[in-house]
Amino acid sequence: MASAAPLRARLESSLPERLSSTLRLREVAPLTVTTGIAALDALTGGLPRGALSEIIGPVSSGHTGVILAALAEATCRREVCALIDASDSFDPASAAAAGVDLERLLWVRCSDRPRRKFDAVRTGRTKPALPAASGFAFSDVLEHVLKVTDLLLQSGGFGMVVLDLGDIPPESTRRIPLTSWFRFRRAVEPTATVLLLVEQESCAKTCASLVVRLRREAVFTSDSASIHTFGGCQVVASGESGIPENNIVSHAALLRGMRLHAEVVRSTMTSSAKGSFDGNRGSAQRKPAQSADVDFELRSMW
Amino acid sequence: MFACIYIPDFPVGAIVRTDPSLSERAVAVLEGKPPQMRVIALNEKARRLGMEINMTKLQAAVFAAPGEKSPVILRQQSPQQEKSTHSALLDVAHTFTPRVEDTAADTLLLDLAGMERLCGAPAKMARALASRVRAVGLKANIALAGNPDAAMHAARGFNGITVIPNGKEAQRLGVLPLGVLLEASELSLDKNSDVGRERKKLREQMLDTLERWGVRDFRMLAQLPEHALASRLGGAGTHWQRLARGANMRTLALCSPPSRFEETMELESPVETLEPLLFILNRLLEQLSARLEARALAVQELHLRLQLEQRVAEEEPTTIQELTCSSDTAGPAIFERTLRLPVAMRDVKVFLKLLQLELAAHSPGAPVTKMWIRAEPAPPRSAQRGLFLPISPAPERLEITLARISGIIGEQRVGMAHLLDSRKPDSFRLGRFVAAPEESKPAKHPTLSGGGEITRLALRMFRPPRQLRVRLSEDRPLTLTTVAKQADCTGPQGNVLWSAGPWRSSGDWWMAKSNDDGKRSESFDREEWDVALADENGGSVALYRIYRDLASEHWFADASYD
Repeated sequence: MASAAPLRARLESSLPERLSSTLRLREVAPLTVTTGIAALDALTGGLPRGALSEIIGPVSSGHTGVILAALAEATCRREVCALIDASDSFDPASAAAAGVDLERLLWVRCSDRPRRKFDAVRTGRTKPALPAASGFAFSDVLEHVLKVTDLLLQSGGFGMVVLDLGDIPPESTRRIPLTSWFRFRRAVEPTATVLLLVEQESCAKTCASLVVRLRREAVFTSDSASIHTFGGCQVVASGESGIPENNIVSHAALLRGMRLHAEVVRSTMTSSAKGSFDGNRGSAQRKPAQSADVDFELRSMW
Repeated sequence: MFACIYIPDFPVGAIVRTDPSLSERAVAVLEGKPPQMRVIALNEKARRLGMEINMTKLQAAVFAAPGEKSPVILRQQSPQQEKSTHSALLDVAHTFTPRVEDTAADTLLLDLAGMERLCGAPAKMARALASRVRAVGLKANIALAGNPDAAMHAARGFNGITVIPNGKEAQRLGVLPLGVLLEASELSLDKNSDVGRERKKLREQMLDTLERWGVRDFRMLAQLPEHALASRLGGAGTHWQRLARGANMRTLALCSPPSRFEETMELESPVETLEPLLFILNRLLEQLSARLEARALAVQELHLRLQLEQRVAEEEPTTIQELTCSSDTAGPAIFERTLRLPVAMRDVKVFLKLLQLELAAHSPGAPVTKMWIRAEPAPPRSAQRGLFLPISPAPERLEITLARISGIIGEQRVGMAHLLDSRKPDSFRLGRFVAAPEESKPAKHPTLSGGGEITRLALRMFRPPRQLRVRLSEDRPLTLTTVAKQADCTGPQGNVLWSAGPWRSSGDWWMAKSNDDGKRSESFDREEWDVALADENGGSVALYRIYRDLASEHWFADASYD
């Protein structure tokens, strides 16, 4: 029996090389689509289809600009997209300026305070479906968001579904049960839908295939005479005229743009999948990728 | 070759069509106002029980024991249901040939000349006709003959399908009683006019005369000497003889296919809950769909009209869709809803689901006694899509999903944003979302004057704008404080770390003058500032767009930069 042990070890060590395709679990990396920002694509490998991705960051960290860029690319591919707007903060003018084809974007405005009160009175429901707690003022909105997301994912056919929880406080989004995110992930897995979640702090945990954190580094303005620094962020005079050439005054009249810093917090895609979109595949690994970061700029519309 | 479609006991057929469960029961249809209600139509099962036409309601009630297990069902005549049934019959006829004569509510004549190559032998055509009529919920007698009148008499005289070869009309029709001739001749009479009543009387007298002579059927009438008959009964007599011989040829008075697709149902007892209402609606929708399918059409708009048992308080229309809840001072209340579909479709399940969601969101508020459903027809969409087109939601599923979402978050909260041609900030309207057609051009990124694509800075709006209290220093914002009217409506507040501005904008002032009816002015005149704001702890910093409304001198925050 003692002489059999080395023989067995030698056989086992040689088998994986000869029978690699049968003994290894073959996993296929998901198809990815571009975010619309070259630097982010280089960093993340794009947004995976059939998976949940998260873009996190505090208020004014540029996540709206990123989702509009992704939506612009998706609508450019003639895909139908949906935006579930938890705080009714979507600006169609910004989206149109970013290149989003509004005719292909379904906008769901979940925040409707009079309606919420009306519903509560009408249904006589006193207990929110989500765990109640003091100060949890967004439970009804989040309940609507989750219901609407469920319906849209079950309906199918959307190229990208964006859940915008950017203005919802993290203490509220954290109360969303993990089972909801797990259900959403399972719903999109067999489809080509990109499910994109925008919030201040990550709440989908392991259900997210990709988590990108954004931070604002600098602000460009046409107005400031010198460079300021506040909260770790610089204000830089861009030296450009304050009057736009196309004379559009209603959007970002004074602010010229922002420089952002992006960091991959979690990714299940390997480097071989990164930088290749819609068709290139690589073997995936189920562990977080090494943290990587990149800087890029968002500019105002002229 | 001519064909005749005849629906025996048409008033009964019209009622059974919308309630197929009655087909297994004995049904009698009553006409008139109490207490003078009389039976005007019976089905075969009722006849077998001994019921007869012209019985009073009291006499008929003897056969109809109270309770659900009663062998006889007594129903009031429904002219609207009969009208819908007749329209369905016309639709079926027009699927075969455009040459159709609308002889009577229960009788249609079709000219099938030249149809043999398309539809096959006459017997096959007759079977196909019977099958189509069955599909719209009716049981018909079909007869084919060489002339229209022979076909009509055969359809009225023989049950099922009858095909009479050319030249055999007299032989086949010979066994029919003369009563068939009288019934058929009465179809062309106007029963409400004096002339019509006089002619009817004369024909009944002629039939009596023939019966006194011992002439009982078509064969005996056909064998009478023509000149002798003409000298005794005149032109009417010889005309009847030609009909009895099956030798009368005439041209059809053609009609056009019905353009209105409507189904109606009167309920015996008011329906209070949604589920039984949907059950009945399902039947009506199936009938409507069958009619549209026969004409190769689909539905673009669906109008539902409900007659309510009692008057309800009028509600103000709250949706972009048509909501009419009107009531006449004398008549019952009417509740109406309209479903506008994004694409033409014919799926009954989709219609039913949409109606269910619509009625769940907007309850009629009273029991329903009568319902109408009308479809606006449109050509069906082509289902073929390109192989390499991107995925998009199925229109039917999307419509149901949108209706469900509207039920959750309210109407006018979901749709497609349309930018308005205005420089006023946040100018848009929310329209109905329809998945864009594939052939439309893809959107393109706006490019800078220097070319190249740049990721755009975006705004996140506060709706409504949050009112602020602003402390100024050297005419620049120094600190912001929210004037919160609601706990969950708080805006940005804190110390201003950096500010840029002001940027002045105004517009739509010309609309303010024309708006003197007390409504809020549409004009805007504002002074915008971009500010970087630190929260009270000094930790996080955010960028906001604030403005001072120069008309009211109030400060607001309307967006954050993101």
